[in-house]
Amino acid sequence: MKYFQPRSVSEAVELARTTESSFLAGGTDLVLHMQTGKVQPKALIDLGKIAKLREIIEAEDYLEIGSMATFAEIGQSNLVSQNAFALWQACQTMGSPQIRNKATLGGNLGNCSPAADGLPPLLALGAEVHLITREGEEIIPLASLLISTPLVPQDTLIRGFRIPRKGLQSGFAKLGRRQALAIARLSVAVAIEVKGKQVGKVSVALGAVGRRAFLSETLGLALSGQELNEAWIEKGVEEVQRVVRIALGDRASAPYKRVAVAGVFREAVASFIPEGGSMV
Amino acid sequence: MDIKFVVNKKPYTLNVDPRERLIDVLRNRIGLMGTKEGCGEGECGACTVIIDGKTVNSCLLLAAQADGCDITTIEGVGNRRSPHPVQKAFVEVGAVQCGFCTPGMVLSAKNLLDKITHPSDQEIGIAMSGNLCRCTGYDKILRAVKRVAEEGDV
Repeated sequence: MKYFQPRSVSEAVELARTTESSFLAGGTDLVLHMQTGKVQPKALIDLGKIAKLREIIEAEDYLEIGSMATFAEIGQSNLVSQNAFALWQACQTMGSPQIRNKATLGGNLGNCSPAADGLPPLLALGAEVHLITREGEEIIPLASLLISTPLVPQDTLIRGFRIPRKGLQSGFAKLGRRQALAIARLSVAVAIEVKGKQVGKVSVALGAVGRRAFLSETLGLALSGQELNEAWIEKGVEEVQRVVRIALGDRASAPYKRVAVAGVFREAVASFIPEGGSMV
Repeated sequence: MDIKFVVNKKPYTLNVDPRERLIDVLRNRIGLMGTKEGCGEGECGACTVIIDGKTVNSCLLLAAQADGCDITTIEGVGNRRSPHPVQKAFVEVGAVQCGFCTPGMVLSAKNLLDKITHPSDQEIGIAMSGNLCRCTGYDKILRAVKRVAEEGDV
């Protein structure tokens, strides 16, 4: 097996086009899959030496997070906690300190586990993915990208994520079998636009209730443009349970998850709604 | 492929297969057997090493990814004659039973205390959350780390 360590994005993309290779991000999933024989790459392009891919940059309209920024780096970033609170929260609780020090947000998307912790917050916050394809640069909404299989062609590089800076309030919660090191059994991210006592647009994304994380249109429609109070939360709980019931069908985990999602939803909104339900 | 890194302040140049994991290179090539493989899938933290000031699972890392890095394993932390304050506290408090998780535990604790001299209980809890112990029930491990944190003589 060949191993490349390019120093620049252009070099990495060129290598991907000319060799039959896989990109290696943090490796916390890929190295394990190689070890078990689940994947056998012919060559690897290690993106770990490209400093530019790790950057978290504040542009006027969006926050750009490089695909190789680790969960630890994102979880320590003030820019992220100010602009994308739900993502910041997700990065605190993913895996363990050791895994957060290596695992990257780009790798989280590339591996695309149903339980990927980074994806529901990115979806709820309306993130776009910055790709470098054979044709050039492409910016595509994450929600659209998650519909395609395979996610991206072999020679497309996930360059980073753009999170619109719209001043959204957001929150994330997950259900694991224990606090640290647990793969999410269920995760919920909510982002809302607050206009005084009203909520404007609401986005709710769910993880680990399907093949991939998804943004629920039903929930967005049911919860947008209303007064933010206790009744709104209760309506959210009811609706999210309905969505989970439909998404899971008769899967074995359905009876459990459809009840559990109520608590996870409450926890996700608790971070931006103080107790009692009304906004300050 | 050739890689270079520093392990416990000693430079190494090695020819490795790009598929080789760091844990295998540390144990089988360099002979540092203090790094343990427990689960082999990043759950237990027995294989924890410190790379450039950050704890990582050496079972989830290719040796090639550590090219150019500075690595500390348990052998670089202390020894029988001059144990690290964390190791001393583990012995005094009785935080070791079978000992398999101990190298990883010590490295996680050391790395925390290198960064924060007097961590809170919560900070200790988070820093140690990636290391499993099936014997002690954690209480004595956390007590040992807390003792060093209170003394602050790392």
